[in-house]
Amino acid sequence: MSNFEKLGDGYSLALTQDEAHILINLVEQLLELLGEGDFFHHYDSSDPLAQLMAMPEEIATPDDPVLMRLLPNAYSDPEAASDFRRYTEPALRGSKQRVLRKVREELTVIVDSKIDGVVEELDADIWLIALNDLRLALSVRLEIDSESFEKFELMPDDEPQKPVYAVYYWLGWLQENLLSALTS
Amino acid sequence: MATTYTEAQLSVDQLLDRPWVTVVWDDPVNLMTYVTYVFIKLFGFSKEKAHELMMQVHNEGRAVVSSGTREEMERDVQRLHEHGLWATLQRDDKI
Repeated sequence: MSNFEKLGDGYSLALTQDEAHILINLVEQLLELLGEGDFFHHYDSSDPLAQLMAMPEEIATPDDPVLMRLLPNAYSDPEAASDFRRYTEPALRGSKQRVLRKVREELTVIVDSKIDGVVEELDADIWLIALNDLRLALSVRLEIDSESFEKFELMPDDEPQKPVYAVYYWLGWLQENLLSALTS
Repeated sequence: MATTYTEAQLSVDQLLDRPWVTVVWDDPVNLMTYVTYVFIKLFGFSKEKAHELMMQVHNEGRAVVSSGTREEMERDVQRLHEHGLWATLQRDDKI
């Protein structure tokens, strides 16, 4: 089983081809869901005019429950929530896309090599956020609650969703592992 | 970062000294260790304080993690959302 390890000043993660494939597929699916169109893609985002011109009139609350979990309302009041979303959602979406793209870049090296590999000098904060967002996304699809782990353990092996649960809990294990490497 | 705050609201809040608060809500997915880690990273809490707030979220379903102006709380909520925590802001007196 893969482990995050402290290596000099940084952290590394050894992954088998299978593990790298699972991760990169999930990352790409989530990137697709978040929309590859980067809001400020063609602009220098620090240019105030570009920001002003790019500001939409309104951004609808996401229909997809996964997006709703990743880009949640900041206010219980719908009007305030919608106002806040209009000003901030592009930045939040962009931040999540940047994190996932960085991880995808690192995974691509291993996947392209066709052999087991090591992600070296990885950015622990980026990986924590990416693993967490992948878990959040899967948790919505799997309808994870406090009893899900027990259900998973009792699940027969031919249950079609069992491998997806396994991946979900594996991601949690990886995240816990990185946290423990960071704080030890 | 842009804000939805209006001048009129600002002066009323200042007169009444009503700060805003950031609330983090419990969910069955975020790891307890991760929530504690994010609290330390974003708010500079001690390990003990971060752990205490995380336990409050876990046991009571929510916890106030910061308070201040509306603009400050909007920024905190945005950073918490970037880290995947479920957070909202509201007026202090509505808690």
